[in-house]
Amino acid sequence: MTFNEYFPSPSDDSSSEQPLDSGGTPPDERGLWRRIPMKAKIGGAIVLLYVLVALFAPVIATHDPIEIDPVTRLASPTAEHILGTDELGRDIFSRIVYATRVDLPLGFLGAFLPALLGVALGAMAGYFGGWVDSVIMRVSDVVQAFPAYILIIALVFALGQGASSIIFAFTILGWVAYARLVRSEVLRVRTLDYVHAARVAGLSRFRILRVHVFPNVISQALVYLPSDIVFATLALAAFSFLGLGIPPPTPEWGAMIAEGQPFIRTNWWFATVPGLVIVGLGLGMSLVGESAEEALER
Amino acid sequence: MGRFSFIAKRLLQVIPMMLGIILVVFLLLQITPGDPVRQIVGLRATEEQLDEVREEMSLDDHVLVQYGRYVALIAQGDLGYSYKSKQPVTSLIRDRMVVTAWLLTAGIFLTLLISIPAAIAAALYRGRAADQVIRGAGLLGLSMPAFWVGVMLLLLVALPTGWFPPGGFGETFGERIRSIFLPALTLALGSSPFIIRSLRASMISVLNSDYVATGRASGGSRRRLIRRFVFRNAAVSSVTVLALEIGFLLFGAVVIETTFALPGLGQGLVLAARGRDLPAIQGYTLLFAVIVVAVYLLSDIAQAMLDPRVEIES
Repeated sequence: MTFNEYFPSPSDDSSSEQPLDSGGTPPDERGLWRRIPMKAKIGGAIVLLYVLVALFAPVIATHDPIEIDPVTRLASPTAEHILGTDELGRDIFSRIVYATRVDLPLGFLGAFLPALLGVALGAMAGYFGGWVDSVIMRVSDVVQAFPAYILIIALVFALGQGASSIIFAFTILGWVAYARLVRSEVLRVRTLDYVHAARVAGLSRFRILRVHVFPNVISQALVYLPSDIVFATLALAAFSFLGLGIPPPTPEWGAMIAEGQPFIRTNWWFATVPGLVIVGLGLGMSLVGESAEEALER
Repeated sequence: MGRFSFIAKRLLQVIPMMLGIILVVFLLLQITPGDPVRQIVGLRATEEQLDEVREEMSLDDHVLVQYGRYVALIAQGDLGYSYKSKQPVTSLIRDRMVVTAWLLTAGIFLTLLISIPAAIAAALYRGRAADQVIRGAGLLGLSMPAFWVGVMLLLLVALPTGWFPPGGFGETFGERIRSIFLPALTLALGSSPFIIRSLRASMISVLNSDYVATGRASGGSRRRLIRRFVFRNAAVSSVTVLALEIGFLLFGAVVIETTFALPGLGQGLVLAARGRDLPAIQGYTLLFAVIVVAVYLLSDIAQAMLDPRVEIES
């Protein structure tokens, strides 16, 4: 395994392109597996690991993540508490494990829901044109003029702190890029011959959109999902770090870094490890995203 | 369409955009639960006092009338009074602006210092070790939360060396440089991967272009070609890319100012949100949006003036 195979660049795909099955036979299961680039497999394995940790959190965690123990405050790592305890005597390792159940699904939803709304609005704008298009595009201009994350702070303030406010704010501010992408794809696709043919054949507009336009457009949008999951996860952690995201005592990685920062002189692992956990998830997801982008470029 | 009518049209577009932005900020007041008058007067106020203030603020008027009045106030530079400090929001902003300006300037400077050489190396040695290392580092940079990078710089650089203060903003020029260096570096480490990625792509297209091939064929030295064509193009396009990233940089400032206890606009917004100080939140949000609109506008105008190839769509 060379370094090139981990990080092939899009311009030089000779190293990552696996030999295709020759002959007319369809690729079997093993052939398909071999054609997935190594970095997609590594990234996918990392993401899968986080999913498993989230699913089996009660089995993996050694303590109750929110149980306060005033006797063992800010303990160093021991056999009992492998990453020590926080200011309230809660087990840091167990909190990191349980936080996977907060950060992972919210990071995913924070990227998926805006994508869904954006694809729907973009498809409508592109297909119907006219005033529908104008309204959607003008609204997207205003939304885009705002620094989205800063408006999210204001919105979460207005809606009340908590996961649902954050996801709502992500959704109504994050759809713009997807809408623009899908709109331009729809404008391109709907001039194609087979879409004309479907229209001449008398198919309803909705049906044409669903059966002929949508499948063509969706792969473009899907490719951006992994990197948006990274952004959403980092942003969620940032809001919690600022004290404006997931309210205590729910364990959350960003909030744990904020809790650990005052103690970096004595308990350096407290703020360090939750950050490493975020970086790990981000790297895994980015590897998946890069492979998807490269696969689409070919 | 001529260049100047494009600029005039672009300037006119700012007006509806600003009205939309003010509308969103105005709506924050409408959707926030709780009585704003109660916030101002305090919990012990009598009904009469509440009515008096409500009368004074004309909160009983129609929403559209209130919106119109809000626009008029903002046009006069009046952003209201902070619930907490009872000072005008504009004076809060004025005090904090300097710190954020320092952070953004130093951050952008360090971003360019990192990105331009890295992007040139990645483009020249495309596909080879240098490119792969830069690409891997970029992937890592994109996955690291800025606030954590800040805490790590405090842990691994500020504490062992003692060269940098653990937080706050200095008084003298030297102190300011020292207190802004690590925050600016944090900002630069977060924004460089974006800049490197798009610069690398644009430089590869310059390297593959006909005029570089011509220059090479007519015997220009490699070093001279790089300086003359590649570097100049890179410098111009990196400014454009940075302009597009302004929203990202501002959010970076919010997070980093909080991490390093820098009394800038971003920290002001966070403290206002924690303290449920609505006029201050509205003021900061509006200001950040205006900065974004202004930077996009300037970058469009600069591009129209500088680059004769820009195709101006009607």
